[in-house]
Amino acid sequence: MSEMNKKIGKKYWRTIEELGDTPEYRQSVIEEYKRGHEDDENPWSRRSFLTLMGASMALAGLAGCRRPVDKIVPYVDQPEEVVPGVPQYYATTMPQSTGAIGLLVQTREGRPIKIEGNEAHPSSLGSTDALTQASILGLYDPDRSKKTREKGAEKTYDDFVTFWRERAEEFAADKGDGLAVLSEPFSSPTLGRLKQDFLKAYPRATWVAYEPVGDENVGAAIKAVTDDRAAAVYRYERASVILSLDSDFLQSESEAVTAARGFSDGRRMDDLQDEMNRLYVVEPAFTLTGGMADHRLRLPASHVGVFAVALAGELAKRGLSIGTVPSVSSPIPDTGWITALAADLIKAGNNALVVAGRRQPQWVHEIVLLINNALGAVGTTVQYFGHDATDTRVAELANLVDRMNSGAVRTLIMLGGNPVYDAPVDLKFAAALKKIDHTAHLSLYFDETSQAAEWHIPRTHFLEAWGDAVSIDGTKSVIQPMIEPLFGGHADVEMFALLSSGRDQRGHDIVRDTWRSILTTGKFDKAWRRVLHDGLLVGSAAKALPDRRPQPNKTWPKVGATTGSLSATNLEINFYPSHLGDGRYANNPWLQELPDAVSKVAWDNVAVMNPSTAEKLGVRNGDIVRLDVSGNALEIPVWTVPGYADFVLGLPLGYGRRFGGRVADDVGFNTYALRTSSNMYFASGATVTTTGRTYDIANVQDHNRMAGRPIIREASLEEYREEPMFAREMVEHPPLRSIYPDHDYSRGYQWGMTIDLNTCNGCNACVIACQSENNIPVVGKEQVGKGREMAWIRNDRYFAGDADEPQMLHQPVACQQCENAPCEQVCPVAATVHDKEGLNTMNYNRCIGTRYCSNNCPYKVRRFNFFNYVKDMPEVVQMAMNPDVTVRSRGVMEKCTFCIQRINRSKQEAKKEDRTVRDGEFQTACQQACPAKAIQFGNINDPDSRVAKMKEKDRNYALLGELNVRPRSTYLAKLRNPNPEMDG
Amino acid sequence: MSSTAQDVSGLPDSEKPLLTGNQTFASITATISGIVERKTPPIWYLALGAALSLLMVLFGSIGWLVYEGTGIWGLNNPVGWGWAIINFVWWVGIGHAGTLISAILFLLRQRWRTSINRFAEAMTLFAVSCALIFPAIHVGRVWVVYWTFPVPNQMGMWPNFRSPLLWDVFAVSTYFTASLLFWYTGLIPDLATFRDRAKTKIKKFVFGILSVGWRGGNRQWKHYELAYLILAGISTPLVLSVHSVVSTDFAVSILPGWHTTIFPPYFVAGAIFSGFAMVVTLTIIARKIFGLENMITVNHLEKMNKIILLTGSMVGYAYGMEFFIAWYSGNIYEQFTFINRAFGQYGWAYWIMVSYNVLVPQLFWFKKLRTSVPVMFVASLFINVGMWFERFVIVVSSLAQDFLPANWDYYSPTIWDVATFVGSFGLFFTLFLLFIRFLPMISMAEVKTVLPEADPHYVAPGTKGGHHE
Repeated sequence: MSEMNKKIGKKYWRTIEELGDTPEYRQSVIEEYKRGHEDDENPWSRRSFLTLMGASMALAGLAGCRRPVDKIVPYVDQPEEVVPGVPQYYATTMPQSTGAIGLLVQTREGRPIKIEGNEAHPSSLGSTDALTQASILGLYDPDRSKKTREKGAEKTYDDFVTFWRERAEEFAADKGDGLAVLSEPFSSPTLGRLKQDFLKAYPRATWVAYEPVGDENVGAAIKAVTDDRAAAVYRYERASVILSLDSDFLQSESEAVTAARGFSDGRRMDDLQDEMNRLYVVEPAFTLTGGMADHRLRLPASHVGVFAVALAGELAKRGLSIGTVPSVSSPIPDTGWITALAADLIKAGNNALVVAGRRQPQWVHEIVLLINNALGAVGTTVQYFGHDATDTRVAELANLVDRMNSGAVRTLIMLGGNPVYDAPVDLKFAAALKKIDHTAHLSLYFDETSQAAEWHIPRTHFLEAWGDAVSIDGTKSVIQPMIEPLFGGHADVEMFALLSSGRDQRGHDIVRDTWRSILTTGKFDKAWRRVLHDGLLVGSAAKALPDRRPQPNKTWPKVGATTGSLSATNLEINFYPSHLGDGRYANNPWLQELPDAVSKVAWDNVAVMNPSTAEKLGVRNGDIVRLDVSGNALEIPVWTVPGYADFVLGLPLGYGRRFGGRVADDVGFNTYALRTSSNMYFASGATVTTTGRTYDIANVQDHNRMAGRPIIREASLEEYREEPMFAREMVEHPPLRSIYPDHDYSRGYQWGMTIDLNTCNGCNACVIACQSENNIPVVGKEQVGKGREMAWIRNDRYFAGDADEPQMLHQPVACQQCENAPCEQVCPVAATVHDKEGLNTMNYNRCIGTRYCSNNCPYKVRRFNFFNYVKDMPEVVQMAMNPDVTVRSRGVMEKCTFCIQRINRSKQEAKKEDRTVRDGEFQTACQQACPAKAIQFGNINDPDSRVAKMKEKDRNYALLGELNVRPRSTYLAKLRNPNPEMDG
Repeated sequence: MSSTAQDVSGLPDSEKPLLTGNQTFASITATISGIVERKTPPIWYLALGAALSLLMVLFGSIGWLVYEGTGIWGLNNPVGWGWAIINFVWWVGIGHAGTLISAILFLLRQRWRTSINRFAEAMTLFAVSCALIFPAIHVGRVWVVYWTFPVPNQMGMWPNFRSPLLWDVFAVSTYFTASLLFWYTGLIPDLATFRDRAKTKIKKFVFGILSVGWRGGNRQWKHYELAYLILAGISTPLVLSVHSVVSTDFAVSILPGWHTTIFPPYFVAGAIFSGFAMVVTLTIIARKIFGLENMITVNHLEKMNKIILLTGSMVGYAYGMEFFIAWYSGNIYEQFTFINRAFGQYGWAYWIMVSYNVLVPQLFWFKKLRTSVPVMFVASLFINVGMWFERFVIVVSSLAQDFLPANWDYYSPTIWDVATFVGSFGLFFTLFLLFIRFLPMISMAEVKTVLPEADPHYVAPGTKGGHHE
């Protein structure tokens, strides 16, 4: 992939030494990359030599080309229970801010290779999201930090321990005055215990938690209204009418996995009589949640609060006791929307649910709590759980920075996080850091903050260290390592323990110490093993706090200031976590290559606005503009997406890293540069000036409309009830006949899939799950820009309806496994053929790469290896590959195989037990990850299988079925449930 | 036959003598052999140097392609075929004129073909050689391209006989083989002439081998003419089949704009069209440089232009019919594809195609224009370009925007697409220059048959004397 190298060829530097390229620096590089990185130094490494040899042979004569063979050495001592080729699953937990998601991790010969959700865990229910799926690759990231460093120079961890003991002695005298810790938010009981120990040892020390995107406003509102430290858990499955106020609960809020599951459960239509929830969304940007809306209102973020007040006023007018609602002028011209919505919410009663996004200020959340309470939703659709996680406090961070500047803080220990990159820009964190005597940073990467800190300690990935976590409902679980630390990092618990006790302890012991007080009944070791096996402590969920209802007689929250009307010179900018999260996953190539679910832009973040705003500003897609807001400026390219509120710009966070790693560096634009502590999520008063320059953007979908074609078939609930077969009747075609005889599919397994478009929200979890399961290569921005992305399952995103008020639709498309497959017929070498179980199989060894199959595929789901995309894969990343799936070489076509490796493994298991494969015994990777459970897969020859039943449904239709390709994947048509009282 | 200076302008076409300038057997032999026996003109070296440079561009491009991968071209996910396939179809199309002239026109007793058939056949062979490169190198794994041949192997793996690409393999290789045999058979008497005239030992030896013992005896002529007739019979269906089969690469697929039954005749007409255009281009250059105006007369060129006019109009009819059928079918995908061809992102290519292929040949309705060498030269160039764009429009516009709009993309070539195509001209011209330097570019034996001496018969007094019947 020399093309890619050329792109990367621009000189980036991490340290001044590197820029100078001194002999000392060269030596340090050689030492750092002693193992497995010869390629960086020697232009004639074994790898490139073999590549050239291979090519020479190909040129010299056509015969005898084989890739080099590596020796495989068997175990000398066979580890117990490890059977080569047989996967093992271990339960663990991925900590997520103040919550956690339970996982089952597939390991192969000691290597974790695939992450699945733990069905028993309340925050997973067996599903995962894209970030979780991608985290397995983060484990094997060769750019992770491998060495403890002091001022950039390599040291050992013992040196740091010595350093800390000196500090400990120093601070023991004055009880920690001048000592501060900046951590990430966490829910871990062990970390909580150690934090308490630390504060006991150093009572005058400061402990601040900060994370750029957190639930601070939600928690503060709950505290203010209920007097409880509690977390709100929303039971979307019980809600019949849902109002989202700037809450992208299906994608970017916390607990999105279970929210998507609950929402889908309430939305799924099993038959005509079934009920389906109704979703109202009020939001500035176009989010996936907005895409699922039955009614969507575009409103600047700063007007959402006023909307909530107006709604509360309307509800109060209709007899709900919400206290004295101040009267506000409605933020929307037509009040019909609010009255109809209020009526619908009241009708739904305790099955109504109002949620506000964490981007909204505290007072909006307080109003929402009052509305939910007044509606009777607390206890049914909203539950509060006691919660004592260490949460983000921006004000405390600001306070800390003040004290750093004033010299009141002399030593700052940063446990995780990357504040130099992501702290609010007005705090000037990096400058404050320089004023401190001693700083230390525990981090996965030698990143922006580590570069600025005195000490850097490499951190372990959660898959290689002990720890524990508590989910939002209080369920406790243990984080157990899947593998020894690959790069010798240090676990959070070990660092915390070192800080609090000065002792260097083993993580395993530290965590067990905590759990001795949790597992008090019966024998500890037995209970401990049970927790490890289950992945959680069964029954540890907290009791919901139904009685602690918000007090309606409390003073009505103070309504915050609104910004008046927006215009071309008073734009509102909105910060969103991108699909890289807040930037910590920026060095994850799977996520970088994953296109944004709405803008469809990969490998970059862009300033998104709607086309009419862009027209008024005189800018077009790809124009670089200068954004100015309250004294800060940023240059960023423009991208248009319909459906944004007018004069609103969406700015995804997490890009523009400087020291994030080889993948992350200089990809996209650092939108934190505009983010201030007073306007963490949105700010108005922004202006745009054109720079006259343009920027190449790799977007994977050029066309946004379905061109009048029956691709995603959709009806309203009412239309569906009148015309249940609408999806099948949408296309008229002549009788479908083939000149080739049919295969006999009457016996054995016949695999098939259905995707329910009514519940799919386009979250892309399936895309990353497939990438992880099937060793799909990453090709880089340039290749994606050329249209050579490799995803086997992709999410097509279309807009429908009015250009200003569009609806968004998503459709996951993988190989449809046609029975009358056009690809099979045209392959000259029979490399893609039908098997007895109806699969359209791909024989990579036989493929010569004519690409005719791809041309003839009406779904264009086949992907071609235009280059040897795995040639430059670092050796450590090769460990993340699934050994059951061939890694494809250049010149070969590849595509979805319905996870045939999983099919075959289950068939083998069934055969050993002399039975047939049971329905649901295994799942395809996409199906397993899907938080909405929109994908069903199984044996369609078995009429009782779930997939066969789905295919029986009236909404079932074959995409492009009129071509007589007879796809085995079919779709269930999408439904919307608009309020008959409303027309928009 | 009068032997006075000919004034043929008043004669109807059918009465015009095919050769001008009072040719005799001897003068024909002298003229044509002279080209080869003369000292090599410096311009030939110059031309060969240029052609070899281009050939190196071809080799370089292929080398880089094999080393790096198909990704050096501009292909992407919806557009799996690009310039390589366009060039393949274009070169195969050009390769149509030769065998058509030598086989079909032979069977139809079109004696005017004798002046141009050798030339056209050579062109066919070289064009097909160029064409064959592309399907071989466009695959992802060039080193296993032989798997498309039914080679017995230990796995018992046969190619997929349902695939049109496999039909291509057979059709084009058969066509190439038949054309080569036909061309060589036609060469034998002339090679013997060269042998007899050769002055060096090496030439004597080489032409002696190549002329396989030809002595010009009556029996030999008898067998020879029968063999030639049989080969013409074998080649005739091939002329029609090869491009029909090439068209099935598209027609058998399900892609809108490809999936259409008009393709076989439409492609054959287009191939003859482009083939004749290329023959006209090359003939005009050659007759000028080598002073063959008496052998290849304006009369010959005009006859070719008439065929160009005919086939160009057939192609134009096909363009129109595609639109009609798209509308008539009621198929929304077809309808979109054709409207998109004319007015979509590749509309510019479509209008180049229509104006060059349909409008330009209409000039040949006018005798003045179709007998004007400069006009026909320029027109033939336009047609060559237009036919390339026809293939571009078919291949790329259908692929770039097919069924699901989410997949739509834009294809643009890279420098390597261009270099490979330009390089293929290097191969073509290298072969051509070698041919005109070392072999008789006009069939001496056959041209002589159109002289009156070759056809002595009684002319009744009072009837118009004629060399034609």
